[in-house]
Amino acid sequence: MARLAASRPSRAEKKPFLTPRRREALTGYIFALPFIFGFLALTLGPMIFSLYASFTEYNIVNPPEWIGLGNYDFILRYDEEFRISLKNTIYYVILKTPLVISISLVLAMLMHIDLPGQRYFRTIYYLPTVLTGVAAIFLWVWVLNPEGLLNRGLGLLGISGPNWFFDPAWSKPGLIVMGMWYIGSPILIFLAGLNGIPTQLYESAEIDGAGPLRKFWNITIPMLSPTIFFLVVTNIIGAFQVFNSAYVVSTTAHASAGAPAQSLLFYEVYLYIRAFQHLEMGFASALAWILFAIVMVVTAIQLWLAKRWVYYES
Amino acid sequence: MSDTNSPDSVPQKQPIRKMTRRHLLQYGGALAAVTFVGPVLSACGGDQGRRGQGGTPTTGPAAAPTNLTTAGGVTPTAAEAMGGATPPEGGAATTVAATPGTTATGQSYNARTDVAGTITFWHFWGSPVRRTAIRRVIAGFEQTYPNIKVNEQFVPFGDIWTKNIAAVAAGRGMPDVIVEDRPQLRARAENNIDISLGELAQRDGITGDAFWPFTWQEATVDGVPYGLPYETDIRVLYYNKAAFRDAGLDPNKPPKDWNDLEAYSNKLDQRSGNKLERIGFFPTIGNIGLDQWGWMNGGQWQTEDFEPTINAKENIETLAWMKKWTDRYGKKNIDAFTATFGQGPEDPFMSGKVAMKVDIQGYTSFLNFYNPKFTTKGGEELSGEEGYGVAAIPPAPGHKPASLSGGFALSIPRGSKNQEAAWEFIKYLTFVGQASWARDTYGMPTIEKLARTDPELKAQPNWEFFVDAMSYGRPAVYNPAYPSMLEVLGPAVDAVMLGRQTPEQALNEAQRKAEAEIRRQRR
Repeated sequence: MARLAASRPSRAEKKPFLTPRRREALTGYIFALPFIFGFLALTLGPMIFSLYASFTEYNIVNPPEWIGLGNYDFILRYDEEFRISLKNTIYYVILKTPLVISISLVLAMLMHIDLPGQRYFRTIYYLPTVLTGVAAIFLWVWVLNPEGLLNRGLGLLGISGPNWFFDPAWSKPGLIVMGMWYIGSPILIFLAGLNGIPTQLYESAEIDGAGPLRKFWNITIPMLSPTIFFLVVTNIIGAFQVFNSAYVVSTTAHASAGAPAQSLLFYEVYLYIRAFQHLEMGFASALAWILFAIVMVVTAIQLWLAKRWVYYES
Repeated sequence: MSDTNSPDSVPQKQPIRKMTRRHLLQYGGALAAVTFVGPVLSACGGDQGRRGQGGTPTTGPAAAPTNLTTAGGVTPTAAEAMGGATPPEGGAATTVAATPGTTATGQSYNARTDVAGTITFWHFWGSPVRRTAIRRVIAGFEQTYPNIKVNEQFVPFGDIWTKNIAAVAAGRGMPDVIVEDRPQLRARAENNIDISLGELAQRDGITGDAFWPFTWQEATVDGVPYGLPYETDIRVLYYNKAAFRDAGLDPNKPPKDWNDLEAYSNKLDQRSGNKLERIGFFPTIGNIGLDQWGWMNGGQWQTEDFEPTINAKENIETLAWMKKWTDRYGKKNIDAFTATFGQGPEDPFMSGKVAMKVDIQGYTSFLNFYNPKFTTKGGEELSGEEGYGVAAIPPAPGHKPASLSGGFALSIPRGSKNQEAAWEFIKYLTFVGQASWARDTYGMPTIEKLARTDPELKAQPNWEFFVDAMSYGRPAVYNPAYPSMLEVLGPAVDAVMLGRQTPEQALNEAQRKAEAEIRRQRR
């Protein structure tokens, strides 16, 4: 989209309204229009309502009842589940994001090598992303069963595998292992980034005698830094919102959301329990806004940090 | 609500103008925050338009004038009523006997067989045994009520009530009759989800006398019913007679208390190395948990004034006892063992992996359906009552047995358009249908007399034992300020089993959680 925006404005049109800058802005807005429309028409209204609901007691059947800061007060001062779920979620974010970024970068670089049949590899690695959903999670519960495929495989190597989703110390790592199946999208984004690095940079580095590691650290990483930054931001936000896999795994293996020992009680799992098992929509809305605030702060910090390490070719 | 990566925001791979690219990538993060978090926030908010619905006064059936005559008109014999004989003319009420073909149970109710309409019925009985059983009941209903068509829908157990509440809140899409979890029915009534059946019950002379008293109590708020009790249950101990024989135990001497459970398990356990092949017993395998074991150690979970007593001494002792069982087998071993359990014939009891397991009396229907063979070491295959026995759940030494009695109720969600037909359906299922339902599923009828006297139920050798067990059955713990209060026990049990907390610490924490929640609700 940005490429179209960059198309050269004709010099004949010197009307102040369509300066190249404005023209670019206008094009941008037109491209963003579907999102803006959807946001205003479908998301903004309910968001404002949920902000209102967060100050009420609301079970969706009866009208909301204003209780001021009651929900926030309880959550921040007394709610142990809130603390547990936030802790679990932060653990998950911290463990998962670097793994996703590094593994997908390595795979993207492997796929970037010019080899015959490379397109098939790319398809194969992207395929699981298309197969997301509850059915695939069921499959993983089976693979990560204490006597399942993975542990049998480990057993052949002489390793006694953990009980994964039955052991609170291993349930989150299990979920992360399972999540690695879905790294098709970051791989794709990295591939796009790698394609954007001008080959002459590598060529001149080679002439200067740079080895592969040197090229990786001094060319690939800086040139990819905007892409890495983008993926870090979106993956952290995504990881904060982990829900489907945790919910399905814990209810399948234990019939109770968040089990075992509340180790899979992630923020949104807790939010779901409050909203849809207890019907406390006001409370759940307050939880959602607290998460929103946390994610906003984390993202703002990243935007600020980005100035120090993200390199925009200029 | 997914943590997968969105492919829609792939940045351009072509070199693009500096400004644009920087902005795209810099603000991509902020934009993504709104894009990703927005739906979560909005999902919790719901639609503002719905709020109006909440304020609408309940249009109960009482508001609609009824032109039906009261009971006492035509009273066909039971056989006629069931045979789909010509319905009585002119809006007359009919008395339908509860158990066709026999007067033994003697239940009757006022039927208005001329009511017409189509009703949608939501239930969660998807297993082959129960689906067939409910279809049989509905077929009988449609014969008796030729003008009412029943649209029966299976909705999974995990979704049915949430889905109903969403439909009631939206004002459309709710069923006309729903199977409610009876212990939670009072909370539903107070949340204005199901309508009061008080006036209809009064009109038709339904007082609740016919039911086990606690089932009626659970279905009423201040004496006004919000559903009619349909099916109850009682938990008992099932034990594998073949395993008992192999272990040198008398198959006619089930364990009497916790000491026996341990002594028997010493003989029943089978290991190969560290791996468990068969265990005698484990306190959380089966349809039971800390709440019931606590009762069997003389514990209570709340006072009569609904103050939680979760960390009472008896309950702490009980949790310590449960922890002993975990230590006996090893946490990792028991988890790995539990993970091998399947459904139906692969369940821990039928597959022979656990020799003594607590389940409801209705488990009998699954044992009948799958007819597992309990095989002795000598290769002798025992099936049916030869293969397994039932006993009261063993209590702590010196204590009396106790058992949880749960069950369901049939209710009309607010907003149902066919309340008269729905009410006829509820009455029929409760007073007539429960007979065939219980024969097919061994569900304990909520009508005490039916449970005690139906000859076909009594034909099952263990039936009288089940009915006797009802005498020490207890309704689920219900706290009006915190209807699902005992959910605080799950994490406490987990933490103790893992050795992360002592029973005392865990239950003190659970007590604090419950108190905080109750304080919040009462404020």
